[in-house]
Amino acid sequence: MIDPLQSALRIAGSGLDVQSARMRVVSENIANASSTGSTLGADPYARKTISFQNEMSRAAGAPLLRVRGIDVDQKPFRVELNPGHPAADEKGYVKLPNVDVLVELADLRETNRSYQANLQAVRQSRELITMTLDLLKA
Amino acid sequence: MGPLALLGLASQHMKWLSVRQAAVSQNLANVSTPGFRAMDVRPFQDVLQRVQTDLATTHADHIAASPLSAASSALRQADGSDVTTSGNSVNLEQELLKAGDVNRDYALNAGVVKSFHRMLLASVKGGA
Repeated sequence: MIDPLQSALRIAGSGLDVQSARMRVVSENIANASSTGSTLGADPYARKTISFQNEMSRAAGAPLLRVRGIDVDQKPFRVELNPGHPAADEKGYVKLPNVDVLVELADLRETNRSYQANLQAVRQSRELITMTLDLLKA
Repeated sequence: MGPLALLGLASQHMKWLSVRQAAVSQNLANVSTPGFRAMDVRPFQDVLQRVQTDLATTHADHIAASPLSAASSALRQADGSDVTTSGNSVNLEQELLKAGDVNRDYALNAGVVKSFHRMLLASVKGGA
């Protein structure tokens, strides 16, 4: 059986990993918050979502976290009347991305917070290992 | 025999604490996994009581049961936390508090072991 402190380190590391993937998806959404199509009636950027899964890893001997998948949000696009726009349809309406920047910012904050928490877990597990090693210096 | 029993107890407690640390970091990693329920280990007191009622090994061929490692690694679902709509019951603040507890207890434990070790060494060396 793997040492619990080592597995704590690995689990927290996998947490950091998925949170950074989430950060990437969120920043992609924010960056594309107003990316429209460029041809007549074309679809704009569709918001991406990310989901996680807890899975027993045989190699690490611990239940690690991984990204289950990155999907596309099915919410309908916003429309705006802008007849001069290259992506406007026959009636002059342009489809805008279904990204709500406020929601993305909230998600960003949450990602930040969980990343910090995982980092704290890594730091502390290392501290505990150091404390054990320090017993040798007594 | 006294100090030796204490060292054994201390190392068991340390083992238990590191299992708890693993549980805490699992909870922290899964803070946004849908359907994940927060885990915790059985209290150390319960684990100790279980050890005392265990079978004795009176013969060299008896398999030495080490119930502590098995019992303490038995994770159970933590109770008393609310569940979000995605079915996740991890509370970030609670987990960080728990991590703080683990850290403090581990430091105390290491300090006690260190000072007992020093005492043993002093008695072996004859206090020189």
